Amino acid sequence: MPARSLQSLGWALALPPVLFLLAFFVGPLLYLLYVSFHGASTSDLYNAELTLANYAAIAGDPFYLRVLLRTLETAAAIMGLCLAVGYPVAMLVAKLPRRRREIASILLLLPLMVSNVVRAYGWVAILGRRGLVNIALGKVGLIDAPLALLYTPAAVVLGLATILLPYMVISIANTLASLDRRYEEAAQALGAGPIRTFLHVTLPLSSPGVASGLLLVFLLTLSAYVTVTLLGGPPSKLLVSLVYDNVVSFQWPRAAALAFVLLAVALVVSALILAVLRPGRVRGRGR
Amino acid sequence: MRGLAALRTLVVVLAALVIVAPIVIVVVTAFSPTDFFVFPPPSLSLRWFHEFFSLSEMRDAFSLSLELAVMASSAAVVLAIPAALFVARRSGPVVTAVQALFLAPLVFPTIILGLALLLFYRTIHMPILPGLLLAHSVVGAPYAFRTTLAGLQSFDPALEEAGHSLGAGPLQTFFLVVLPLIWPSVLSGWLFAFIVSFGELNTALFLTGPGHTTLPIEIFSYLQFQGSQLVVAAASAIQVAMILIMVAAIERAVGLRRLVRA
Amino acid sequence: MADAAEPPDVRLARVSKSYGTVAAVRELSLEIPRGVFFSLLGPSGCGKTTTLRLIAGFEHPDAGEVYIRRARVTGVPPYRRDFSMVFQSYALFPHLTVAENVAFGLRMRRRPKGERGRSISEALALVKLAGFEARYPRELSGGQQQRVALARAIVVRPAVLLLDEPLGALDKLLREEMQVELRHLQQELGITAVFVTHDQEEALTLSDQIAVMRNGVIEQLGPPRAVYERPETEFVASFLGASNLLAGRVTDGSRGSKVVVEVAGYRSSVSGTNGAGEAVRVAVRPERLRLGLAGEPGVAATVREIVYRGAATHVYLESAGGPLLAYLQNTGGAGQSVRPGDRVTCSWEDEAAVLLRA
Repeated sequence: MPARSLQSLGWALALPPVLFLLAFFVGPLLYLLYVSFHGASTSDLYNAELTLANYAAIAGDPFYLRVLLRTLETAAAIMGLCLAVGYPVAMLVAKLPRRRREIASILLLLPLMVSNVVRAYGWVAILGRRGLVNIALGKVGLIDAPLALLYTPAAVVLGLATILLPYMVISIANTLASLDRRYEEAAQALGAGPIRTFLHVTLPLSSPGVASGLLLVFLLTLSAYVTVTLLGGPPSKLLVSLVYDNVVSFQWPRAAALAFVLLAVALVVSALILAVLRPGRVRGRGR
Repeated sequence: MRGLAALRTLVVVLAALVIVAPIVIVVVTAFSPTDFFVFPPPSLSLRWFHEFFSLSEMRDAFSLSLELAVMASSAAVVLAIPAALFVARRSGPVVTAVQALFLAPLVFPTIILGLALLLFYRTIHMPILPGLLLAHSVVGAPYAFRTTLAGLQSFDPALEEAGHSLGAGPLQTFFLVVLPLIWPSVLSGWLFAFIVSFGELNTALFLTGPGHTTLPIEIFSYLQFQGSQLVVAAASAIQVAMILIMVAAIERAVGLRRLVRA
Repeated sequence: MADAAEPPDVRLARVSKSYGTVAAVRELSLEIPRGVFFSLLGPSGCGKTTTLRLIAGFEHPDAGEVYIRRARVTGVPPYRRDFSMVFQSYALFPHLTVAENVAFGLRMRRRPKGERGRSISEALALVKLAGFEARYPRELSGGQQQRVALARAIVVRPAVLLLDEPLGALDKLLREEMQVELRHLQQELGITAVFVTHDQEEALTLSDQIAVMRNGVIEQLGPPRAVYERPETEFVASFLGASNLLAGRVTDGSRGSKVVVEVAGYRSSVSGTNGAGEAVRVAVRPERLRLGLAGEPGVAATVREIVYRGAATHVYLESAGGPLLAYLQNTGGAGQSVRPGDRVTCSWEDEAAVLLRA
């Protein structure tokens, strides 16, 4: 440890940034939580009395429960798709020689840098009434009238799954690439064929990457208001849409409560994913 | 086995297609001369780009996004460097907590953060522009933190000690020894924060207001309310172009491959 | 050597340092006079590097005081202490040229530019790297980098020069070359040097004083010859060179400063103050062991194995006093040929034997 003056300098160093984040990240969130326990007010942001009405309303209203269910179903579908498609792609990327793997990583990062609104717009252009799919199908003569592909849960799933796919691939590929090949070789030396080796060795050892990929995709899905709105429209509102709706109608406490319900969902499902996959037991292995 | 490998290749090709196709379609459409969406466009024209720059709200949104991104990434870097310096050489529960704090905005649902800041700003009467800047600084800080920390961790601590042994105090050592050697990491953090700010939606959704919108929010409004005007495609193409310029800047400054290696 | 009235350049007073439950340095005290080449020698984990870093100020002692040239520097950060250091990994600043690296310390001390240039040229000439000013560290070989590190450290004329196993990364030939150069440089400049190494040959070659360390304490401190020829403990005896360790008994105590010790029937007179009848351990260097024919005075032994080592032959023997090792110089004379199975006797001159502390 350096002499005492360097030590105290270190603390002084970290203080301003930490204070900043506390003031503009943690603080406002705590304030939001506080607001969620108040009633609505027409003149102020919120009513002065403390109440659990918001949460009670959410829990008791079948409308909210339906939306919650739809949110979970949509998220599950997106996670499933990303995993099913992402894993094979990750396997391929992980096996590439170093240089090509780095190039592949860059190529995977590029679409993620484009704003979601642009990517969602792309799907609008593909799935819309005058979009690519309908035009193509019409030209070929398969349909008479354009199909309503947008404003469905399927469009949301398709759009978000393709937007978030690179996250899953990168997550899993990183874990796979850092796996010691000798584990697979040991399994094969013990007589396991390629499929058994994959199922009993590779797959379990890749659980940290799978877990972090699933978590990332799930959390980003929960927050993806713009994509959900553009592709799902009014018929396919998810929890995040309800937060926004309450904001534009100045129902701040209700919006706050919904936001924390969203957060609670995020935490519960995250804990579930971690509990099922238990990536911790694998961490530390691998090169 | 060959069948499985062929199947995997198919999956990879399909995946690449679905990821990239929407972006490509939008960018190509931006060059379309037609009034409505036609793909592929019959010819190429800059009509919609002219339209984009002739609309004051589009121009303003673009310049606001640009200014915001520059300032927010600079703020993010200024925040991240001291924090990364603190975390890099120490261990313990406090250090873990600071690190978690700085990485939290990466995974925390930004829509909730946007709402929280909206309420907070309203309560303390924070004007729009500074409020947006602060929000984007929070969102961008983890990126700057991550890359700077990685740079510091691969930095030989003996070099700092050598500086000290020759009489350089902590500040001097930082500016004369550490910074010159980690600046690529800092710069790439800046560039990542820029890219994130430039495309950021969820906090801007709540924190922008009349007269002060960012480019992605402007695009979103147009898509929701004005439908099929292809000026949106041009706006989107410009967004993508900015990203590519930044990526090229990263490549020149730091080398993209070095980035993904970390 | 140093004037006895002048204060030591480095003084540690009962310094202790622990990392968690591990005590790296325990109540260590030492004094290093001006101009002395002082080595801290020991196996890894003995605390020698920690001691060096305590002098530098990179570590803060849990207890005790550190003094550099009369000034109490405990608690003073490294950049305000009067020392410079050569690191094991050289730690040359990769983004600066050789000249800029060497100039760094002078810049910190705010020497004017003209003076700086002269000092740099001088320093580089001393390490035989004149003309290398514009090169970058990555363009240099390991040995050259080492010299730049040295030049950078000495150009500021520090009170103390600290060296942390600086020659560790060099190959044997280059190492020995550098050892000689380093010693000459230190003597020419008269700088007090504290040198950390685990290589006992290196310590013997370079030092005016050696502190043999083990488990956080100094087991023996003295000039190379004393430490080598008169080791006080078994550890020191076996760490510096090989040693024969024999069990013996005192037959005649205190004839002044000597006692008579019997080892497996052979008696010799050794320095010591033990009482008669005491069991003792005797150390004899293999090169001081003389082999004679069976029947001559000495410890009876049988040759087990011989290993030809070019300049010497190593002879492994089994005796009543335990296993023995003898180095025989290959001088080509007859009577040198010993073969496995031969019965011989091992003897030594009285001064060659050392009584070890318990």
